[in-house]
Parts: sequence; structure tokens; C-alpha cells
Amino acid sequence: MTNIVVLVKQVPDTYSERKLAETDHTLDRESADAVLDEINERAVEEALKIKEAGEGEVTVLCVGPDRATDAIRKALSMGADKAIHVSDEALHGSDILATAKVIAAAIGKVEGVDLVIAGNESSDGGAGAVPALLAELLGMPQLTYAHHVSVEGSAIKVDRETADEGITHLEANLPAVVSVTEKINEPRYPSFKGIMAAKKKPVETLTVADLGLDAGEVGLDNAWSTVSEAAPKPPRTAGEKVEDDGDGGTKIAEYLVGQKLI
Amino acid sequence: MRFTLAPEQRDFASSIDDLLSAADTPTVVRAWGSGEHEPGLALWRRLADLGVTGLAVAEEHGGLGASAVDLAVAVEMLGRHAVPGPVTESIAALPVLLADSGETRWLPGLASGEMIGTLAWQPHVPYAVDADVADIRLCVVDDALHEFAPAEPTSSVDAARLLSAVEIGAVVCPARTERAWAYGVLACAAQLLGAGRQLLEMSVDYAKQRSQYGNQIGGYQAIKHLLADVVTQLELARPLLYGAAVSLDADGTSTARDVSAARVACADAAYRAARTALQVHGAIGYTAEHDMALWLTKVRALRSVWGTQAWHREQVLGALLDERRVA
Repeated sequence: MTNIVVLVKQVPDTYSERKLAETDHTLDRESADAVLDEINERAVEEALKIKEAGEGEVTVLCVGPDRATDAIRKALSMGADKAIHVSDEALHGSDILATAKVIAAAIGKVEGVDLVIAGNESSDGGAGAVPALLAELLGMPQLTYAHHVSVEGSAIKVDRETADEGITHLEANLPAVVSVTEKINEPRYPSFKGIMAAKKKPVETLTVADLGLDAGEVGLDNAWSTVSEAAPKPPRTAGEKVEDDGDGGTKIAEYLVGQKLI
Repeated sequence: MRFTLAPEQRDFASSIDDLLSAADTPTVVRAWGSGEHEPGLALWRRLADLGVTGLAVAEEHGGLGASAVDLAVAVEMLGRHAVPGPVTESIAALPVLLADSGETRWLPGLASGEMIGTLAWQPHVPYAVDADVADIRLCVVDDALHEFAPAEPTSSVDAARLLSAVEIGAVVCPARTERAWAYGVLACAAQLLGAGRQLLEMSVDYAKQRSQYGNQIGGYQAIKHLLADVVTQLELARPLLYGAAVSLDADGTSTARDVSAARVACADAAYRAARTALQVHGAIGYTAEHDMALWLTKVRALRSVWGTQAWHREQVLGALLDERRVA
């Protein structure tokens, strides 16, 4: 019986325009369609595969505002068994350190966790550090950037793939924290049965106080970094047009030399 | 009574939409039209995994026992992606026809997607669609269900529909047809609405890309008006479709009238969407290479099966006159 917690996050759809709020430079969640982060769908899929290969229970854990229930429902429709939703106004603007503390405390509410599966990084924040922070806080080994995972008894084997280091084979004893990359699998689509069943699955909603944390440890005011200014990405400028009067090749070569490319 | 879709119904629609969006259905449709059915059948199996083929089958026969509204929502999405094959027949009409007629042996196969069925229905559905891929071939003649053998194939305006005349064979059982007919008409209407919506979206996208006389053509009022008329007609057809599905679920006395009304409105709206799409796209829209042609021809074909528009209008008129007489 493998008891798995999957971390899921609701993010603005990457197809929509993403903005920061003008007042406090946090993510403007209202301006874009919110979806379950795709990397988390893969994390859920991997958890379900491990569960289906043997026995187990999959708990979805989400820290986010009230409307993140949509993301939770999607994970439950895919086949996760239950969910924990940490929702609290005090969490608004929390940095990754505070987020990891909250997640660690919430995982503490689940009995006998064998495996925590996360995406390697979210498509909005993109820090890519929460799984590692979490492993440190929980005192569990971290096996990050996994593109293949196998659980054998009380051991877990992971193929870790990064652009810099290539493939590394990792092995650890459970319990452990794993983060997965987009190469890990193709997530399933929720079926009619799964969607109907999700309605009846338990979702426990917790506040910061329920987790035994102090509101002074989380939120925008207690973040270790602050955003003092933000400006939208400048629009792409038009390229340089070269008229070919017989010397087009020379002009291209001059341009490339100017860019120190040749 | 709730008049909006439940979150679960919207989630199911978006699950089907996600699957089909990633499946490159235009390539699948073209393959189907050239007689290569494997990619299409693979798509059917994936839809079956989601539960689409089991919606209209009762749980005791391996299905999901879903509502007619669930079915309409799902089939609309299949129409939107121009899924090839006997959608209306195998997913909607046949399961209901078999269950109501007490002939349950094929229902588990239909529900699981292991079997695909096609259906002819005299006089309104004289040709059976895709009989060459169907495991179950049945034909309604008067009040009986017959097996049939596909005779001479004949071409449809939609290359992805292989039509066969039917050689009527042995009687299977007496048929109870009322609800099955309504389910068939409803599914046909849902497919049309979905296809119409897709044609509108293709047209809007194209109008934003294509420039003429120095401006995007979508900026010209002539184009805007055309597209506004299409969206209005499609959105006015949608409540009739869902209303007919609610009526079917409630087993009301007005079901036959409601499905006919839905079918008239959805087919008219989709046909307008198709003609407008052709106008907006201009010459490129006439080419078989452009994906739009796949939807264009499907709308034209679906508009003429499961009863003509004139026949359905007669049904609506007849029902309204009857109601007045009673009142």
C-alpha cells in the first residue's frame, strides 16, 4: 500500500495573457483563465500509475485561493482519492519558503505518507525549488527532475534528466519527495465516471491556523524578496530588411560579424 | 428546474474537447474517407474509454445510464471535431432502440466500444452510414427491427460517410421506436450544432488573419454582420437542443415536437455557419485541402438525414395545431 500525496497548483492558462496586479505586483489571477498546471496532471498520472500497479491511496494537496477547487476537482476526476485544500487570505503573496512550510505542515496532516510527487516547476512562478525545500523540511530524500519513476517495495528508483547533467540514476528509500518533468508520461483525460465520482470524494479545507502555523510566517509582507517594480515585456521590434542589390550576401555576413556570430 | 449545464457536464465536454483537440481529427477524417479506418477506430476506442459510447446504455448492461442532456453535450463535442463514423446511430439511437425493444445482447459491446453499430430507418434514413465498419447492422421497417446486408455503396457529399443501400434480412424483434427516433434526431442536431460552432470559429480566426485592401477582413462591417448572424442563430438553437434533451429526460408528451424543433434550428444554424464560412474564407474554402471542407460537407450531409427539414417542420406544426385543438 503506497500512500501518495500529489502537489497540485492552479495557474493561469499559458494560452492567455498573464499579468501582475498593479497594486502589489503579485499574480493577477482574475485576468486569466485558471487551469490545473499541466505538469501537475503528469504528477497525478504518475501517482495513479503507481497506485494501479499495486495498492495505494492518492491524496491531492493544493495551496491556493477558493477558486483552486476547479483544479482539485480535475485531479480528483482523473482518479485521485481525496484532497486537501489550504486556502487562506493570509497566504496571498507568499514566497516559495512560506509555501514550502505550508505544504510541509499540510503533508503532516496525512498519516503515513510514503511518497510526495510534485511537478518540477510551475508554469507561472517557475522557481522550481519547492520540491527540494519540501524534502529538506520533511527530512526526506529528494529525487527531482524525474522522467522515469519506479517503486519497488520500500525503495524508489528515478531517472533524473537535466539539460546540464544528462541522465542520472537515483535510488532512495521511502518516504521520499519526487518531482517529475514533462517527459514522464501522457496524462489521462477525465472520464464520465471519473468526473461523476469526483463529486463525492472528500475535500478537506484547511487554514493557516489549522496547520498550526503563524500568519506572521506567510504572505506578501513576510516574503524574503519583494518586487518593487514590474513592466510588461517590450513588444518585439521589426527585423532589419536587407535589399539585395547584388551585395546581399556581404550584408548578411557583415550583420553576423556584428553579432559576433561569425 | 436548472437551466444551465452542471459543472460535471462542462467538465466532461472539456475532457472530450481536450482529447479530440490533441488527436488531429482532420487527418483521421481524411483517412476514414479514403477507406483507412484504423485511426478513426482508435479514436472511437479512446472516446469509449472516456465513457462516450456508454452514455445511452443503462448501467445494468455495462453502460453509464447518463441523461439525454449528458449525451447532447458529448455528441455536440464530437460534431465540433467532425469525428467520423456512425456517431448518431451507434452512440445514441441504437442503444435506446435495442433497450426499448428488449433486445439487449449487443448493449454491453456498444457501451464498451468493442462494437460499433449502424442503423437504417425507413423511410427517413434510407441508407446506412459506414456499414462497412459496423459490427451490428440493423434496419427499422414498419414496426420491426431487421438485420440487413449492405448492398451497393453509394457516395455521400461528405467523403467521410460511406452510404450503403440496405438489403433487408431476417426480423430480429418487434421494435419500439418512439424514444430511439427522438434520440437519433437529438444526436443529429447536437452534431450539427457542434459542427456549426467549429465553422464559426474557423471563420472568425480566418477573418482576423486575412487582409484585403490593407485591412483585416474581419474589420469590415460586411464580414462582421455575416458572422454576428451566425453566432446569433447558433446560440438561439442551443437552448432548443438542451430543451429537447430535458424533455427526453422528463419523458414528457412534447418530446417529439421538441426534438424536431431542435433539429430544425440546429440544422438551419449549422447550414448558415457553413455557407458563411465559405463566403468568409473565399476561394481557399472551396479547396479540399483546407480543413474547413470536412465540416462543410458534414453539415450538408447531416442536414438531410434523420428526417428532412420540411418533415421536422411538419412535426412541429402538427404538434402545435394539436395542442391548440385540445386547448
